[in-house]
Amino acid sequence: MRRQKKPCPITEAGIRYVDYKDDRLLGRFITDYGKILPSRLSGVDARHQRQLSKAVKKARFLALLPYVKGHTG
Amino acid sequence: MAKLKIRRQSSRRYEAVYIYDSALEDTAIVEKLDKVQSLLALAEPAEIEHWGRRALAYKIGRHENGYYIITHFNAEPKVLPEFERALKLDGGVIRYLITLHEHELGAPKLSDEELAARRGRSDDDDDDEE
Repeated sequence: MRRQKKPCPITEAGIRYVDYKDDRLLGRFITDYGKILPSRLSGVDARHQRQLSKAVKKARFLALLPYVKGHTG
Repeated sequence: MAKLKIRRQSSRRYEAVYIYDSALEDTAIVEKLDKVQSLLALAEPAEIEHWGRRALAYKIGRHENGYYIITHFNAEPKVLPEFERALKLDGGVIRYLITLHEHELGAPKLSDEELAARRGRSDDDDDDEE
């Protein structure tokens, strides 16, 4: 039995290219520790997942997202 | 396979994000930005968007806050090394990122009717309210 495919939330939001400055959007696709959520859990399509992965990494560099959530020091 | 494109015009569109030391005065930041941007020898002035002060997601050295500025400009690729060198030497810049701006990012701006239609359709599945 296969589960029905989820619609891609990024496509649904009308986004063509994921913006690395949109930390609110990116924040929905990272885990509680700040890791990038796999697309099998989020339902993001492959094209957007590739963009998302790069966007999260840029956002981390710019301190918009943490590398590790809950880490202090 | 990526196709090799021959570009006739040498100027390319870039997006740069700067994080300045939030302890600096606003006027000092604008002054520093003007000075460093002048190295780009821009034909038309850069679009500048100030995000202002916000907390960094993690500490960078002793900094916990930064003053964010986003700019868009068309520049010749050959002026960038000198520009980056100046940015690196500037102690007031905590971090910067220059990227090629080849596509509009994010969702296109919706017209008022589209927004209204969207609101009417999906009042309950908006899960990102905070």
